[in-house]
Amino acid sequence: MSEFTTLPPDTPSTGATAREEAISTSQAPSGSTPPTGTVTFKNVSKFYGEVLGVNRVDLVLESGIIGLVGPNGSGKTTMMNLMTGLLRPSKGRIEVLGVPTSDPIRLFPQVGYCTQWDSFPAGINGYKFVYGYLRVHGYTHAQAEQLAWEALDRVSLRDAAKRKIAGYSKGMRQRVKLAQAISHKPKVLVLDEPLNGLDPMARAEIIAVFQDLAAEGHHVIISSHILHEVDMIADQVVLLTGGYVVAEGEIGGVRTDIEEQPIQVLVRCDKPSLLASKLFESENTVEVALHDDRRGLLVRTKDANAFYLRFNNLVLEHNIRIETVAVADADVRAVYQYLIGTEGEGS
Amino acid sequence: MSTAATPAATPADRGLDGGLIIRQLTGILRMELGKNLLGRRAFFTYFLAFAPVPLALFWAVWPGSKEGLQGPNAAAALFAGVFPAYLAVPLYLSALLLFMSLFRAEIMEKSLHYYLLTPIRREVLVVGKYVSALIAITMTFLASTTLLYGITLMPWGLGEASQYLFRDAGLSNLVAYLGIVALGCAGYGAVFLLTGLVFKNPIIPAAVFWGWEAINIFLPTFLKKISVVHYLTSLFPIPILEGPFEIIADPTPVWVAIPGILIFTALVLALAGWKASRMEISYGDD
Repeated sequence: MSEFTTLPPDTPSTGATAREEAISTSQAPSGSTPPTGTVTFKNVSKFYGEVLGVNRVDLVLESGIIGLVGPNGSGKTTMMNLMTGLLRPSKGRIEVLGVPTSDPIRLFPQVGYCTQWDSFPAGINGYKFVYGYLRVHGYTHAQAEQLAWEALDRVSLRDAAKRKIAGYSKGMRQRVKLAQAISHKPKVLVLDEPLNGLDPMARAEIIAVFQDLAAEGHHVIISSHILHEVDMIADQVVLLTGGYVVAEGEIGGVRTDIEEQPIQVLVRCDKPSLLASKLFESENTVEVALHDDRRGLLVRTKDANAFYLRFNNLVLEHNIRIETVAVADADVRAVYQYLIGTEGEGS
Repeated sequence: MSTAATPAATPADRGLDGGLIIRQLTGILRMELGKNLLGRRAFFTYFLAFAPVPLALFWAVWPGSKEGLQGPNAAAALFAGVFPAYLAVPLYLSALLLFMSLFRAEIMEKSLHYYLLTPIRREVLVVGKYVSALIAITMTFLASTTLLYGITLMPWGLGEASQYLFRDAGLSNLVAYLGIVALGCAGYGAVFLLTGLVFKNPIIPAAVFWGWEAINIFLPTFLKKISVVHYLTSLFPIPILEGPFEIIADPTPVWVAIPGILIFTALVLALAGWKASRMEISYGDD
């Protein structure tokens, strides 16, 4: 992928359109040369009965960190489930490193998938969770044990490894899922909304792990409905809406545009009034609104990085107990509106 | 730590060989046996398997229990008369709850995908889950059957009971009952594993199948033979000559009944493997 390309959105009823022609010229491999990307979608559609999942996706994801971005319901999870073989395409063909996704024996030694489902086998602890599935891969006890501890070390979970996952915090559960996904050292790592619901500290830790993995040569594909998050991690992005790829390219082209869009962050904590007053002193804060139940606040800021830095300092300085930090949807809608002239809702 | 960019030498890199499949099956058994023997789903197996034990103990210690029974042989005949109900209720329900949950419960709790993201053939996963549940339920019901059989002989004391067991047909009869239990677990287990894979709400088809097995005793001879319970009762060491389970239809010969149940089980498992290989996972999400 080279220049960031915005593509006119289609509606499912319009059939082949300018957007598809644009895709076919900008993305499809020329002539008979086979695509060489990490993940290749060839005219892929997925329908759940009458409901559209994704439609006519022709895409070659090259190596590096790729962000799949789109609002909830845009088809990100469908794309990820398709590229990991959890779903079969209704039409078309998908390959990962040249291996069709219908071939689990050759696919899964090369692919790790950290899904968005926050669920685990009942009663299992962190170590057994990682170790157990390594045994299902076919590793011997000694190999599985070594790989499991390496993965748990990587996500800083060694100390909590023998505790039941049911007692983990959200951040720890996210990390143990990541450990399980990377434990067999796959070349391609697929991460579905990995930062969802994490507090700033856990978010920073997880992002550091992604960046390390990418630096070591992994191909990382990460989805998010928050463009700002992907901006921090990915080199390239694919924008999805309503099951269609509407734009793809290097994120540098939109970074400046994104930064001009105010980001909206929801915080739930035990001292919302204090936090609100302190945050409002920052020049980057556009708006702070207290939640009706007086246990949360909504902050709009022009500079997300500066916001998180100040936020972390305030939390430590005033010993504020944080329950939730979540980036609201509104910012990505704004960027969609800017990029494609629609709100990007799952149309 | 070695860099993650260099993938570990994966077992699957060496191709799909028998050794790899055995290791993968062992891995599945490790995961599943814990759930099937110690997890929540094991509770009903233990409860149903051992629920008849207090009833049997009550009968055994009741002073009038020996009345009308001419020694351990008659008690064994009584056991044979009650055994079909044991197959039809505790064993059937346990198999239903355990085997149906192998896939369906993990779909409900959204944890099945962890298996499906490993380099394993779905058919191997089906076999691994089936074998683990079969081990768990068979072990439990073999223990329960042995205990019930022993309790049935209790009123005659150790001397007579030992004589019946070791000098008469007692022990061989017990072995036959244990074999029937194992075959029942295998046959019903395969059916319910498939049911859990095919139906989103498997309770209704399971209830229909149960109804068929239950009314089987009232059906004409030729229809009796279209059931698992008929082949199981055909293997009884002591024919049931009275009561609702009385064998009216010609019992199927042992050399047909045993391979018949095993072939039926293998066919159902093959169908389950095929169904699993076509299975998609989204848990209803986008």
